[in-house]
Amino acid sequence: MRTADLELAARCRAGDADAFEELYRQHARRLYGLVLRMVGSPEEAEDLLQEVFLQAYRKLAGFRGESALGTWLYRLAMNLCLDHLRGRRAKMSRATESLDHEDAAEPVAPAPVVPPAISRMDLERAIEKLPAGSRAAFLLHDVEGFEHREIAEILGVTEGTSKSQVHKARMKLRTLLSR
Amino acid sequence: MNCHIYDEVLGDYIDGMRNLEFERHLAACARCQAVVADFARIRGAASTLEEPIPPPRVWARVAAAIDEKPKRAFAWVPMAVAASLALLVAGATWLAWREAPPAAPQIAQQIAVPADEAAVPADAHYDDAIAGLQQLADAQDAALDPSTRDVLQKNLEVVDRAITESRAALATEPANTVAQESLLDALDTKVALLQDTVDLGTAKELNQ
Repeated sequence: MRTADLELAARCRAGDADAFEELYRQHARRLYGLVLRMVGSPEEAEDLLQEVFLQAYRKLAGFRGESALGTWLYRLAMNLCLDHLRGRRAKMSRATESLDHEDAAEPVAPAPVVPPAISRMDLERAIEKLPAGSRAAFLLHDVEGFEHREIAEILGVTEGTSKSQVHKARMKLRTLLSR
Repeated sequence: MNCHIYDEVLGDYIDGMRNLEFERHLAACARCQAVVADFARIRGAASTLEEPIPPPRVWARVAAAIDEKPKRAFAWVPMAVAASLALLVAGATWLAWREAPPAAPQIAQQIAVPADEAAVPADAHYDDAIAGLQQLADAQDAALDPSTRDVLQKNLEVVDRAITESRAALATEPANTVAQESLLDALDTKVALLQDTVDLGTAKELNQ
């Protein structure tokens, strides 16, 4: 456990406004990237990022340093994103009965071959098409660089599930990018 | 060839973990070689994705929402004071009823007289407390944000007006229980406001 995290959390809990701003400056940028890629809309991402930090402000009293402060914030962010997406999906389901389930089997190309150079734009578009669970695991692992042990903690799943979700995401991206 | 048994180790292999059994399989399996190459490309591209910057308005909104919290709590102080005063008054009235002789004129006298007498020492007691707190609050005043200071100042002006009006009413009608309650309510609110000023100033100084 990083002592700096505990000290910063303690300063925030004591009502030090500068400390809370420091916490925001340290983590907001990475969290915003993650949240934006999870929900796809800049407006919704801004609202969710705001909510992440308001929740953090309210819940800092409960931060005991079992995980790094960054991991703790990612967990708050991911819970909010997944709740948000579930709510959005429920609305969509009510509106359109015939939507396919996100986990429906994707037709697999016989031998997908990803082009040697993947454009960032193509990759961003392909990531948007991933189911929420594997998108979360993929973003945390391949974009943010977390280990499966940390992803398991953030998403509240086992390491095996994290590995399996990242694998599924890569397989689907492989198919999407080779089209 | 059943390559799927290697799905999990394939991921580990991309992440840099060695697995001799898988490596032997990989050397002979074109399908797994293609998957490994594609996964490596995907992972490489993912690690170069740009980090979008959150607009400054997000922090502005977070900071405003956090600043708002103490003000919202602060707005409840007079109501809480009023509620506790109402309880005190109700309790005093009940005690007066319980201890009073049965005759109606005597009851009225019992309630009116102690209230009238009690108002003076209580009033003086509050004045002492307020004078002490006012000194502390004046000393902390410079440490407060201008916007917080303005809000506190306006609230104090409102309370001071209520104190002046209640005292004017009691000057003409000393037994007026409504005016007595209003005065005690206003004095209590002033104590709470000054206490808040001192607390906020102290917290601000500690943070500097």
